[in-house]
Amino acid sequence: MAENAFEIIVDELTLAGARRGDMAARERIYRLYHTASYNVAMRVCNCRELAQEVTHEAFITAFRRIRQFRGDAPFWGWLRRVVVNHAISALRKLPKADLVEFQDYQASADGDQESIGRAMDLEQALQRLSHEDRAVIWLHDVEGYRHGEIAQIFGKTESFSKTRLARARQKVRTMIESRERAERTQLTG
Amino acid sequence: MNTSSNHETRDPLGLRDLPAMTPPEDGWKQIEAALQEPARSGTGFRGRTALLATAACVLLAALVVLKTQAPPPAIGPQEVATITQPDASLEQDQTLNDLIAMSQTLEKQLKGIRTHSGSIPASSAVYVAELEDMVAQVDTRLSVSPGSINLWGQRVNLLLDLAQIYQQQWEREYGRMASL
Repeated sequence: MAENAFEIIVDELTLAGARRGDMAARERIYRLYHTASYNVAMRVCNCRELAQEVTHEAFITAFRRIRQFRGDAPFWGWLRRVVVNHAISALRKLPKADLVEFQDYQASADGDQESIGRAMDLEQALQRLSHEDRAVIWLHDVEGYRHGEIAQIFGKTESFSKTRLARARQKVRTMIESRERAERTQLTG
Repeated sequence: MNTSSNHETRDPLGLRDLPAMTPPEDGWKQIEAALQEPARSGTGFRGRTALLATAACVLLAALVVLKTQAPPPAIGPQEVATITQPDASLEQDQTLNDLIAMSQTLEKQLKGIRTHSGSIPASSAVYVAELEDMVAQVDTRLSVSPGSINLWGQRVNLLLDLAQIYQQQWEREYGRMASL
């Protein structure tokens, strides 16, 4: 199974077509990576409209610069980097992002209430993090970026990434624990 | 390698288990329109040169069309043709054949373009040299793994880049000639 949703392999003929400017090939690429790109943008930006705009701009940039992709690494990694760069750049221009709504999330097929509850706790905790904390924790823990890469994306040092990650994880844990404590108190009280 | 322990270290909070979000709308039409915008903006002289450039593009497009006409060299097409149920390995073989054919056609066409195009500016010459060096590197790797789709794909992409440089040079020369 792929480590994350972005790890989709696109065939060489489609890539060659996209580089030549073939719109059908470009559309195939868009269809393959649209959802994954939106998800990364959404996790970093925490705003539906902004994530949509970031995804849109990232694809335009990617197709305009596709000749810069040399094919010596997976295409998905290159495209994801374009999306992340756009998302971080959008964050820099944004003082405060809107909160996400829960109806945006696909309900799990089995409708397991407990897992939905856990996911909602985690979602809410993530949303309460600062933009940078949320971006760092998502890029490191989910997308698999190394501290050096995150530092480069933010134009900061590796210790910035390490500190932010430790702090963000701790904040999320604290928020979830305090929510669980509050729920237990309500039940027993 | 212990995947689960790595997963825990990398993602101790279980963020990867969060449900995926659905994009609110399909943005392909807007992206397509944005990508086509510069092509539509040509008017007057620029429009004419754009038309001529388009003619030059036909050459490149012909390369692609040729790949369907040129028999895939050194690979037995009869064996593929007799099998009616395609499977993954046949598709891979076909992709490999297509890429090899495309690479050979591009090589042939580039040879022709080089003969007929004039001198290229120093900045482009550096880029051409760099690309040709990269093609040579890919060729070295192909001598070890001749059946690598990835390497053949890289080779085709590099040759397309080279063709693009010569095409741009052709457009510039034609533009200068048309302005006289």
